[in-house]
Amino acid sequence: MASLVRSWIPLLILQSFLVAVAFGSKEAEQFSEALLLKPLPDRKVLAHFHFENRAPPSNSHGRHHHLFPKAISQLVQKFRVKEMELSFTQGRWNHEHWGGFDPLSSMNAKPVGVELWAVFDVPQSQVDTSWKNLTHALSGLFCASINFLESSTSYAAPTWGFGTNSDKLRYGSLPREAVCTENLTPWLKLLPCRDKDGISALMNRPSVYRGFYHSQRLHLSTVESGQEGLGSGIVLEQTLTVVLQPETTSVETNMQPSWSLSSLFGRKVVGSCVLAKSSNVYLQLEGRLGHESKNVDTEIEAHKLWKNADFDLSLKPDRVLRESSGLLFIFDIDKSSDSEPFDLGLNWKLPSKWSCQQAPLQASRFLMGSGNERGAIAILLKATESQEKLPGRELTDGRCTIKANIFQIFPWYIKVYYHTLQIFVDQQQKTDSEVLKKINVSPSTDKVSSGMLEMMLELPCEVKSAAISIEYDKGFLHIDEYPPDANQGFDIPSALISFPSHHASLDFQEELSKSPLLSSFKEKSLVRSYTEVLLVPLTTPDFSMPYNVITITCTIFALYFGSLLNVLRRRIGEEERFLKSQGKKTGGVKQLLLRLTAKIRGRPIEAPSSESPAAESSFLSTKLIFKIILIAGAAAAWQYFSTDK
Amino acid sequence: MEETSDRLNPTTDTSGVTPEFDPKTMRSTKPGLKRLFITTSVLFSFLLGVPFLWKSVEIYRSPLPFHDIDSLSDQIESTPLRFPCNLHAVFVGFESKDPDNLRSQIQDGINQLTHQSSQCGSCNVSISVTVQNLAEQCLETLAHNPSTCSYRCGVIIRNEFGVGLDDTVDESLNDVFSGCSENSGKTYSVVVVNKENANGEDEVIKAVVGKRRHAWVVGSGLEERYGDIVARVSEIFVKVFMNGGRDEESIHGEFMPVGSDGKIVLSFSLLNSNPRDWVYDWDFQRIDDALLAPVTKALAPIANISVESQVLYHTPKSSFSSWDEKLQSYIFRTSDLPFFVNSNEWHLDTSAGASGRSKILQFVVYIPSGKECPLLLQLPNGEISKTNGFISPMWGGVIVWNPESCDKDSESPIRNTISPQDLEQIVEIFLGQFRQLFGFKSEAIYTSGLGTYKILPSERGFTEWELDVLSRKHTCFNLHSCSTTLGSLSRLVRSLPRMIIKDEIGEQVKYSLKAAKLAQSNASLGGYSSSASSSREARSLAENAFFHPSIMSVSYFSYEHCFAVYSPFFLPVVGHIVLAAFREWKRYRQEKAKYLTWLTRKKTA
Repeated sequence: MASLVRSWIPLLILQSFLVAVAFGSKEAEQFSEALLLKPLPDRKVLAHFHFENRAPPSNSHGRHHHLFPKAISQLVQKFRVKEMELSFTQGRWNHEHWGGFDPLSSMNAKPVGVELWAVFDVPQSQVDTSWKNLTHALSGLFCASINFLESSTSYAAPTWGFGTNSDKLRYGSLPREAVCTENLTPWLKLLPCRDKDGISALMNRPSVYRGFYHSQRLHLSTVESGQEGLGSGIVLEQTLTVVLQPETTSVETNMQPSWSLSSLFGRKVVGSCVLAKSSNVYLQLEGRLGHESKNVDTEIEAHKLWKNADFDLSLKPDRVLRESSGLLFIFDIDKSSDSEPFDLGLNWKLPSKWSCQQAPLQASRFLMGSGNERGAIAILLKATESQEKLPGRELTDGRCTIKANIFQIFPWYIKVYYHTLQIFVDQQQKTDSEVLKKINVSPSTDKVSSGMLEMMLELPCEVKSAAISIEYDKGFLHIDEYPPDANQGFDIPSALISFPSHHASLDFQEELSKSPLLSSFKEKSLVRSYTEVLLVPLTTPDFSMPYNVITITCTIFALYFGSLLNVLRRRIGEEERFLKSQGKKTGGVKQLLLRLTAKIRGRPIEAPSSESPAAESSFLSTKLIFKIILIAGAAAAWQYFSTDK
Repeated sequence: MEETSDRLNPTTDTSGVTPEFDPKTMRSTKPGLKRLFITTSVLFSFLLGVPFLWKSVEIYRSPLPFHDIDSLSDQIESTPLRFPCNLHAVFVGFESKDPDNLRSQIQDGINQLTHQSSQCGSCNVSISVTVQNLAEQCLETLAHNPSTCSYRCGVIIRNEFGVGLDDTVDESLNDVFSGCSENSGKTYSVVVVNKENANGEDEVIKAVVGKRRHAWVVGSGLEERYGDIVARVSEIFVKVFMNGGRDEESIHGEFMPVGSDGKIVLSFSLLNSNPRDWVYDWDFQRIDDALLAPVTKALAPIANISVESQVLYHTPKSSFSSWDEKLQSYIFRTSDLPFFVNSNEWHLDTSAGASGRSKILQFVVYIPSGKECPLLLQLPNGEISKTNGFISPMWGGVIVWNPESCDKDSESPIRNTISPQDLEQIVEIFLGQFRQLFGFKSEAIYTSGLGTYKILPSERGFTEWELDVLSRKHTCFNLHSCSTTLGSLSRLVRSLPRMIIKDEIGEQVKYSLKAAKLAQSNASLGGYSSSASSSREARSLAENAFFHPSIMSVSYFSYEHCFAVYSPFFLPVVGHIVLAAFREWKRYRQEKAKYLTWLTRKKTA
């Protein structure tokens, strides 16, 4: 009997597999929405919107869609994008207070402006063309100047420093791009409910853009179906991360501010997007009660979790999850309606304090030197307090080490001298072989390509600080290469510091849920942080200079030419004789005048006595008339040329 | 030099030579030429330099064949393109009719209907007439061109013809005329069968236009009314086969919704105006495979059609409808139709990168929300639209589809799928709209003053003769748009004399003209597909030239700029030189006059 059953099982599995294959193409597109709220230690609140849209493997991508945005699918089909991430960010992520070692920060802390990277599924020779076309298409789609990433001076092809190892990867960023609501609207258009319904209805533009940090991100990846003749599936992940300051009336400074969704956003959720498979709101409280009581099975205990002496929530959570460093309350917003909107609030009763988990090293970058000729860039890595507690330390040759990758793009006008690379560990200069494990340099070519530096540092675990400095010369740009506001300076894109042996993930003690947000948190993500954008002032010319130079040189040439011609045709002896003969009769002043008029008229001076005053005046008047006619003619000619085009 | 002039000067040492010498009015030596020579040579070298300077500031302009462009547009304006078409009329059961006479009568009828005005894309008709008498003997008059179809005498049997379904009759006629050669234009045939008046009752004349290129008129007692019949034959030919049965005043014939790269994207969108009430989905993939694929295949010679679909949510219409108590439904008036499409909320767009320069036709199926369900469109005459849809030329069409029941029973919306039957209906309406966008009628009946004609609809959406009409119109439209594009390009180029024109543009214009010429000659030879393809090429090349990026970016380099750069040098220098040369010349004349007076004085002395 048992053997019979055993022989049936593979058959059943096979059958179900066949059924799955047969209906594989009929698998529906899925959309889910989620919002994660998280009070931050510095009295701010983080709101992280997460939307996921999955298109199953199909051959009709780019043609027939139900939930998945057609435009994105067409992009993927046309440019053969394998994976792509586009982010628009304003503000800088505060790694110290907002966390640096959790999946949220490692995925959503982005450099200022626009960042785009993409991996293509085309032959190596076509990657650059695909990238250029993609930038243009995206710039149209998102109303942003992403097309500036088209020029080969603005993007790079990282090999290993970026974290994703592929030779078909291209990376570019635009630090200067101003991000505002015109970028958010097309981004919302990709959601089936846009901002009409569901969680995205909270996105009140003034409150979103009033925040300290906002980053909208679009990540898409294709999933190979693994079957012959079937296209690949697409997963589109859209997130918006905002850090807001709740308005507080409390006078106590150490008291965390109480907030609710309506006070943060000025809106309430009146129901989920009906097209979403799941729509949840999560509230994450860090450093809280994690160890106090292990089993919260009973109702009272559970109740204690959300209404206790420290704080209370305005709504009862549907579930409570524990993870290593805190609690996660889960709310299902399906039940809310117009009459009973979902308005989650958190009310603090007692002052409380906690800290975020931080990356092993905190990175900052600054410029050194002065003047418009040369300078140096320094990257400073400082150990954080939490460094000792972190996992991911490695033992190499019996020493405990931390690995850090640094990836940096230099625009070509920052001419970096790579031999001046200096590394200081705890203020002592180290030779390259001591700390530098790997380095990859691709120098820039003037006006053709940007330079790229990738290096892997291996620092001892007990390191307090590490500094890297590199010198550069400032280049000169051609006059039409300057941007409109050249005097503002030029931006050097953020450097990316990643820790290849550290991975952030949230592990929930209970095995739970197909929630895309939580499953993305569960995946191990590389810990990374972006440094500041640097502003380098370059020598900017006076842009009217070419005309000034032209005018000055032309005038000098004209003077030279005129005087040379005069010298050639002047009769000095004749003039002197005249002066002699005139000098006896006339006074000094009159003689000078005569000389002047002689010069002007260019004819020998006639004796004043010989000419009658009447003749003189008539002669003057004809000359005057001639001059007037000449000027009028010139004016007419000018008029003719300037109007007749 | 100064020394020599000193010595030559008459005022110093020559004063004593002659007694009457007046230094003010005469001189004893010849005036020097050195200074004059220097200044004039400088002046002339400057003048010589002017052409070189002019050449150096000249911008590159590829020579455009302005004359050819003008002549092309003149030609298209004055002599519209005409294709050769053959009409073969077969009269069965006519006893005493002379085919030559019939032919001239049909010719007269055609001329009368076309009013001699030759519209672009019309036919150059050659007629051949066969008369089969009761004894099944034939008299034929062939057209000048011998390659028309031959009709085997006696194949059509008078009393058996036209019995049964129209489709089978159409098929049988296709067999009859299967030996047609298609070398010089298409051949259309009209069969007139004069039946025996068996029942004695006055039978109505039945006129049917088939799916291929055949039409037939069946009736009894036609011999007596043959003038009427001849008029109908010429009408079938002119109004149906030549003009596609379209009304002259409907959509203007010059518009063809085909992109300049010869592509059409049919973008279908299902709009759920409020998904909180109900959510509908469709299985468009199946519709595409089953119903739309034959249509796109049939239209392949005219345009490369691709189909895409999407479902959108939260897309209300932008105008309000009113409740009608009598009809128990919401009414939307035709006068408000311009405000139906909500371009703010309906993001129908497809990715610009994917579509390129194709024409995108939007077909929208609008599902009203619970607040406005059922929604009906009201015609201006107060009737309710049967299709509940409308078209917007060159944009697409909208169909309002009401769910079966407008009651919102449950709180949570149910996800429904539109049933295949409903979808088929929607596709039928869409096909009608699609035909209308191309200028055809959506009904299967053509009515004129002489009577009605039944038009057999094809399952592919377009019958063969309709496709012929389209292909003629398409060629015409392409050539017209090519000539207007080239005309505006040439006007633009001529109006901006300082605009750079790259060689590429010149080449594109050249090739476009070449393709247009080829299309014209192919059309006159009757090559439908070859003229369509070369006209398409001509149009796309013309558009490429017009939208060349170099035209858009560096528009022109102005005269002001030229003046600003060159005047600081040339104005002062030229002033110096001209004045110097003028003075030297004047002085030389003066001195020469002095010298001459001195010479005359000397002579007289």
